[in-house]
Amino acid sequence: MKNVQDIIPAVTQHEYREGFVTDIQQEFVPKGLNEEIIRTISSLKGEPQWLLDFRLDAFSRWKKMTPPSWGHLSRLPKIDFQDIIYYAAPKKDSDRPKEIDPALQETFDKLGIPVGEREVLAGVKPRESVAVDAVFDSVSVSTTFRKTLAEKGIIFCSFSEAVREHPELVRKYLASVVPVGDNFYAALNSAVFSDGSFCYIPKGVKCPMDLSSYFRINASGTGQFERTLIIADEGSSVSYMEGCTAPMRDENQLHAAVVEIIVEKDADVRYSTVQNWYPGDAQGRGGILNLVTKRGLCKEGAHLSWTQVETGSAITWKYPSTVLQGDGSTSEFYSVALTNNWQQADTGTKMIHLGRNTRSRIVSKGISAGHSENSYRGLVRMGKGAFGARNFSRCDSLLIGSTCGAHTFPVIQNFNNTSLVEHEATTSRISEDQLFYCNQRGIGPEDAVGLIVNGYAREVLQRLPMEFAVEAQKLLAVNLEGSVG
Amino acid sequence: MDRVYRVGIDEVPKRLTLKEAEELRLVFVVMPGISADVPFDISIEREGVKLEIYGLYLCPRSEQVNFRVRVRHLVGGSTSTQLFKGIAGGSARVGFDGLIYIAPDAQKTKAFQENHTLLLSDSALIDSRPQLEIYADDVECSHGATTGSLNPEELFYMRSRGIPEELARRIQIHSFISPVLKYLPEEYRRQILARL
Amino acid sequence: METILQITGLHASSGGKEILKGVDLTINKGEVHAIMGPNGAGKSTLSAVLAGRPDYEVTAGSVTFMGRNLLEMTPEERAWAGLFLSFQYPVEIPGVSITNFMKGAVNSKRKALGQDELTPAQFLKLLKDKMSMLKMKGEFAKREVNVGFSGGEKKRNEIFQMAMLDPSFCILDETDSGLDVDALKIVADGVNSLRTPDKSAIVITHYRRLLDLLRPDRVHILKDGRIVRSGGMELAEQIETKGFDSVDG
Repeated sequence: MKNVQDIIPAVTQHEYREGFVTDIQQEFVPKGLNEEIIRTISSLKGEPQWLLDFRLDAFSRWKKMTPPSWGHLSRLPKIDFQDIIYYAAPKKDSDRPKEIDPALQETFDKLGIPVGEREVLAGVKPRESVAVDAVFDSVSVSTTFRKTLAEKGIIFCSFSEAVREHPELVRKYLASVVPVGDNFYAALNSAVFSDGSFCYIPKGVKCPMDLSSYFRINASGTGQFERTLIIADEGSSVSYMEGCTAPMRDENQLHAAVVEIIVEKDADVRYSTVQNWYPGDAQGRGGILNLVTKRGLCKEGAHLSWTQVETGSAITWKYPSTVLQGDGSTSEFYSVALTNNWQQADTGTKMIHLGRNTRSRIVSKGISAGHSENSYRGLVRMGKGAFGARNFSRCDSLLIGSTCGAHTFPVIQNFNNTSLVEHEATTSRISEDQLFYCNQRGIGPEDAVGLIVNGYAREVLQRLPMEFAVEAQKLLAVNLEGSVG
Repeated sequence: MDRVYRVGIDEVPKRLTLKEAEELRLVFVVMPGISADVPFDISIEREGVKLEIYGLYLCPRSEQVNFRVRVRHLVGGSTSTQLFKGIAGGSARVGFDGLIYIAPDAQKTKAFQENHTLLLSDSALIDSRPQLEIYADDVECSHGATTGSLNPEELFYMRSRGIPEELARRIQIHSFISPVLKYLPEEYRRQILARL
Repeated sequence: METILQITGLHASSGGKEILKGVDLTINKGEVHAIMGPNGAGKSTLSAVLAGRPDYEVTAGSVTFMGRNLLEMTPEERAWAGLFLSFQYPVEIPGVSITNFMKGAVNSKRKALGQDELTPAQFLKLLKDKMSMLKMKGEFAKREVNVGFSGGEKKRNEIFQMAMLDPSFCILDETDSGLDVDALKIVADGVNSLRTPDKSAIVITHYRRLLDLLRPDRVHILKDGRIVRSGGMELAEQIETKGFDSVDG
């Protein structure tokens, strides 16, 4: 009779389907990091002087900083920042400068990312459509539905285009939520970021479709440093999704992104991530080092919701956070993090309550298997002015097998005696009784584990947009849920 | 057996190792007016231990109290329960940094930790860090923490029944700390209630 | 008569302790057998061993189920072959809706039998049919498996799953325990409505009241790991009035 421990490898060691490499001609800047490289990146992108100055300022700050070591990440290697290529882009086909390269088209097709609008326009897919900004290594290669969105005044384009076409917006908001010197990796990103997505929703506009960014690392020896800026103006709303994959390689590749979200008065932003970077092999070789800073700022009455499903990366260091500055603003953080083999994740959130009657809710579901380490790390701070503010946090850990670790490191700081903070955490495992019950009903062990894990994560998964929820469920090794129930 | 330590008055051990299957209850009490750091590290190295740790901190003025508690389950089959409760008023600063560590293979461990603080003034501060570090799967483990003020509805209810506000507050504080208070000797309890 | 289940000289232990000490039992197609016995006689061990619960070791004997060696089959293979155990203590599975759970179970079985999986529409129809047959409300299927269920609801859920999976052989392990008279009636009506001449069952119980409603063909008394007496309903009546001590063994 198989027991839970024997079953897990079969369930979780699925093949990494996205691990292929696209054979395409690319241009690179030389390996290493110095002022010259930064000037080269900036000039390759035809940037204005103020942005070059921004980068150089960030670089000079970064040089004085040291990498943070407080994460529960014993396998995070010492990174040689001179051994990384900071810019790689597919060469433009001079015959068809306006169209997406067929090899890239094929790549994104294979990944199931709709980088063309044709299908939808022809009515093949009657479903509600999603606008996609596809980023391949250091550049955005395609952004769909821009015209449809532009009719509503919505700007959705690559970060580079935004710099050219809407410099006033970029200049106003860039680094307004994540300051240049916020942390080591944010400073690095500010110095070398290459591309990413930009989104602006004008006052009072409800975005008619979901927006998404898809990040693909392809070239070896490179890092990806994307920058995303989302601005939801007063009373507007948008649902934003982010996905990512990379080839299987024995080397570690660095991904150090910065995402900034500005949620103006009474606006509503839902930000969802399904993170499926290459996690490394069963022996812990290779995989992406995912060291990411994501933060949103909520003005009066604004709402920001983070939902993340983290299944990939060798190392995850990520704390999507919200500054609840405006009175009555609200935020949620819903997270599922699955680690297996030798993966390590240190992830959570910060909820900084500054305004009156602000509310936040944290639901974190960690799942650890194999030899992995999975930590929730969070901060809830009730500032002096957070009168009547409330936070509720629940952090659950599911341990699968006896060689993994599951940890919870919350910090609660309360400076206001009219605010209330509640935190609870539990650990559990899949019981033999649950497994047997499923088996007796004809559900095999692998499916049963998938079903139980999926049930455990349900509270988070059901908050994802439909397309994403299906993808996330598959990633959690489940193929049962979906159209019914 | 019970051991009660008055922080700042009695000698408090910094480190304990439990090598016998015993039932042990430790109670830490920080009286009003006392500021202290309380580092305490206890290792359970034997199955069958039943450990209870209670902490009570009363910081109504400008006290600074920092607990740093480590409960390490190095072998399985033991139980630990922690309950730390207290109040912070005036300009008091209270820190609670508690960790439950469960070693690899320390199966069938049960470990629980709770920390609840009442903030009684607008310049008091609480910094609570209830942490779990778990390396075994067949365990039962949880922690909970809350910070907040006296429940205004309870207060109003009592006042509407004719209980003066000051007394109502004292009743509320008393009921809040009583789960820990009950493990103190009668004499300490009287002292505490007199000074609240 | 066609034999469905043949148990011969079955010995089984759990945690190193021998509990079944040579059980012999033959059940033919269409028959309902009751097994009664005092606490600790091995009734639940017998159902656990038949369903293939881990942590129970068969030390001797054989079990043939519809011509196959049951003891070599995994729990899910037994389920696919048509064996259903109604659990005495059904476990909670948080977050998993009954709909999704049943969809997994029904389609796993169909896949194993080489049949196409049901489309969502077909599945929903089956679900609704069985629910209305057992007079269950629509929101039931959205609830999480056994989470927050009362004792009676758990047992009804077991009977509902039995209806969904259409087994040829059922084991009702103390399905009557903890039920009040009304709940017992509902469960018995449910079982009776699923009864066909092709189906067989073992009903494990302490009490006669469920047997009065189900009218078994045979009654067996299990004591200290062995079947010590077999007979008809009169045996159940004897137990009711004189207790298990009145039966030799």
